[in-house]
Amino acid sequence: MFSITQEIDCYITCITGSGLLPVIGIEAFLALIFFTFYLKIGKPVLRLTSFIAAQLFMVLLIGTVISAMQCSQMLTIEIYTAYAILSTLIVMLLPRVYYKILIRKYSAQPITDIIDWPQAFVNDLAEGAKVYYYDSAVPAAFASGKCIFLSIGMLELMDEQELKAVIAHELWHIRHNNRTPLLRQLSFMTFTKNRSEDELELLADAFAGEVVSESAVKSAREKLN
Amino acid sequence: MVKLDRINLSNEGLTKFFSPIEAQIMEVLWTNEESTTPEITEKTGIPLSSVAGTLDRLVKAGFAKRTMDKSGHRVRYLYSATESMDKTANTITQKVLDSLVDTFGKVAVENFHTYKKQ
Repeated sequence: MFSITQEIDCYITCITGSGLLPVIGIEAFLALIFFTFYLKIGKPVLRLTSFIAAQLFMVLLIGTVISAMQCSQMLTIEIYTAYAILSTLIVMLLPRVYYKILIRKYSAQPITDIIDWPQAFVNDLAEGAKVYYYDSAVPAAFASGKCIFLSIGMLELMDEQELKAVIAHELWHIRHNNRTPLLRQLSFMTFTKNRSEDELELLADAFAGEVVSESAVKSAREKLN
Repeated sequence: MVKLDRINLSNEGLTKFFSPIEAQIMEVLWTNEESTTPEITEKTGIPLSSVAGTLDRLVKAGFAKRTMDKSGHRVRYLYSATESMDKTANTITQKVLDSLVDTFGKVAVENFHTYKKQ
């Protein structure tokens, strides 16, 4: 039967016996250093990189611990492996179908049905991304898969420059979409809360500032707050 | 939901049947032919963050309707009341009476005949 004290004994015996203790120590230390870095640094790109580095070392640490285990049938390890495999599958597969669910949920329509320029603006910047609108007065914009969703409320509220800034912001998310599930998965595996969302928003804003103008990003943000 | 199913007898005026924001918006829609979102926020003095969600609700509940107006690069909604104020009053009265008769039957109907405002 499962006994937590037995499991802990197992971990201690196996790790000290395997000779991997120094490696585990170094990995834990590096993970800690990068986490501290992440908390201290102000620049979004560096914050994001150090957060990812810390999480990677955490995954490495978990891997090393598992490989040090000689005991058979350890329940904690079996549960963790099942959890890791299942969450990876879900996180990797979900984006491929999720935008379809969103289109149906919001009864979204291609924006070209009502105005042409937003799609043309996107075509100039990125291959294959499609802009949709949906019927709601609440100003909102989001991206999923290769689709950008804008509410009519957003179209009403923003002038052309601001709307371009909003679209560019969402486009940045689409361009880096392949990375977001990876970040999410890392935080699932290491049990750390994914705080990188804020950094991603700042980087997306910075991109919108470059493509359109910083003043447009600023006034769009102000209108939404 | 607009709370026609939850009538609050102790409230004043239209807020018996609508939330205060819903009532203010409906007043604007009843007194104007067509209104844009900025016009509604201006006339009610309620911020867009509260107005937008309420407008969605009123449209969904069928009290307000909106059409999309495209001019050049811009898109906007034009709102109007689905029914006149009198017709809406009629609908509300009908619903309340239905509910009273359903619950109290004869007693309710007798009361309508002998009704005098106190």
